[in-house]
Amino acid sequence: MKRAECDTALSDLPVNVLEGKVCAVTGAEYELGAGLAIGLANAGAAVALLGDARGLAKVATDLGANGASAAAVQCDFSTRAAVEEAWAVIPDVLGSPIKGVVHAWMPSVAYEVNELVTVNDEHWAEVWEGALNATRYVLQSAFAHFGDGDSEPAGGRIVVVTPTVSMSGAVGLVPYTTAIEGMRLLAKSAARQWGPDAITVNCLAPAPEQVPIGVLSMAVSLAPPALGGPGDVENDLGPIAAFLLSDAAHGLTGATLCADGGVWMAP
Amino acid sequence: MRRRRRLDGPVTIVSPVSRLAGRTAIVTGAGQGVGEGIARSLAGNGARVVIAARRFETGEPVAQAIRTLGGEAVCIVTDVTDRDSMEHCVVQTVDQFGGLEIMVHNAFRGGRPHRLEDLDDELWSQNSRTAVWGSYYSAVLAFPYLRAASNRGRLIFITSPAGVEGSVNLPAYGPVKAAQRAMAKSLAREWGPTGITVNCVAPVAESPSLVSAFDQNPTLKSRLEERTSLGRIGDPEHDIGAVASFLASDEASYVTGQTVVCDGGSFLGL
Repeated sequence: MKRAECDTALSDLPVNVLEGKVCAVTGAEYELGAGLAIGLANAGAAVALLGDARGLAKVATDLGANGASAAAVQCDFSTRAAVEEAWAVIPDVLGSPIKGVVHAWMPSVAYEVNELVTVNDEHWAEVWEGALNATRYVLQSAFAHFGDGDSEPAGGRIVVVTPTVSMSGAVGLVPYTTAIEGMRLLAKSAARQWGPDAITVNCLAPAPEQVPIGVLSMAVSLAPPALGGPGDVENDLGPIAAFLLSDAAHGLTGATLCADGGVWMAP
Repeated sequence: MRRRRRLDGPVTIVSPVSRLAGRTAIVTGAGQGVGEGIARSLAGNGARVVIAARRFETGEPVAQAIRTLGGEAVCIVTDVTDRDSMEHCVVQTVDQFGGLEIMVHNAFRGGRPHRLEDLDDELWSQNSRTAVWGSYYSAVLAFPYLRAASNRGRLIFITSPAGVEGSVNLPAYGPVKAAQRAMAKSLAREWGPTGITVNCVAPVAESPSLVSAFDQNPTLKSRLEERTSLGRIGDPEHDIGAVASFLASDEASYVTGQTVVCDGGSFLGL
């Protein structure tokens, strides 16, 4: 099926909606996070890539080669203190406080396909607690540091990446889908509590093809993607993430935007 | 059992007391509130019921009350956060009653109001261990027996509408209740070929914790009733238990991966 063509040329779309903003991205060790980081940079953001700095160095270098301001920042997601420590470095490296966050990190073992009855407690903990703790620490660090040094009221934008596979369920991925839904609801709870602080928290739900979980484990969908495919992360999902992090999205919070090419359309 | 003739042929009506006859159910957190209501309803529908409670002092009176009404019930002290304790409960149930067809995970601890920015590892763990780990243990430990029951095997998680729309006062509660819904969906797909169904019930019903909340906030009950289409708070046995008993029965053998919101028509977001 041929992917539908966009009526508007990319060059005619509003650009630089994130000009002057520093945004943090987690999970850029994988293509999904890396593609979103590129999308944010294309929108004018300076991008801090949090995670395994060695693994992120090439992504940062490539962003820099294309004229973006980017830095790889070592971040251990297993404790709040470690995440805070990484967060504190970013303003020094990129010159401004963070205004937006795209959280796409997931423990790598989450992508392993196993029937639940073969999963042991260690694996369950690594996926469920690993993913939820990391999300909690990233959200808490964002809350604590949005607006650092600003003379204007604080506020910020957070996007949590939650592939649609959690909404439909998938054989062999109980820990992974469980964790994603937990992350999605943590985002909603944050949206409810932090709205008065002008912080918006939304979820971006890409197609399961965008994460390395294997074709056979994906939920069977009765509907083909309306737009012909799951989309290109940098050029299709990147602008959506950029919008969610922009000033224009100040009235949107607690939402989940399904960016899967038009498969999941509930409610 | 009686038969009556209809235009399209004879219809057999199963009496409620025999609907779950011959089946065994474990209900965690059944020493009070929604769990107790579900246990009473399952027993009233003919199931043998294990009251899996943290303390014998709270669980045994429920079991005794069921026995007084003519049902079969025992209390097994169980800590849902501990794999060995859960395994002991399941094994003892099967030893005593010969099988396990219905597993209901209801137990939960961790519902005090808090701010997300202050949510520490201890409070998170309390929410996570009872809701999510308890669900995980319920599933993996009951599976061999549910599978043996084939299309009578039932796994039910008691979740919450907060697991769909989040919570402004309990930011840790929404994620762990959402996790149960996701687990049910993936397990429904994974276990579908065995005939086991996996569903969630999201209730709002009178329970000790809700009554306590009413005491602390005198206007809460009336506000809750006002936004509920049916204008009242649910009864754990006759409202919530009835839905759980339906999901456990043969009539619901084609319902799986679903969340049944049982709150009198307050949350209508599905």
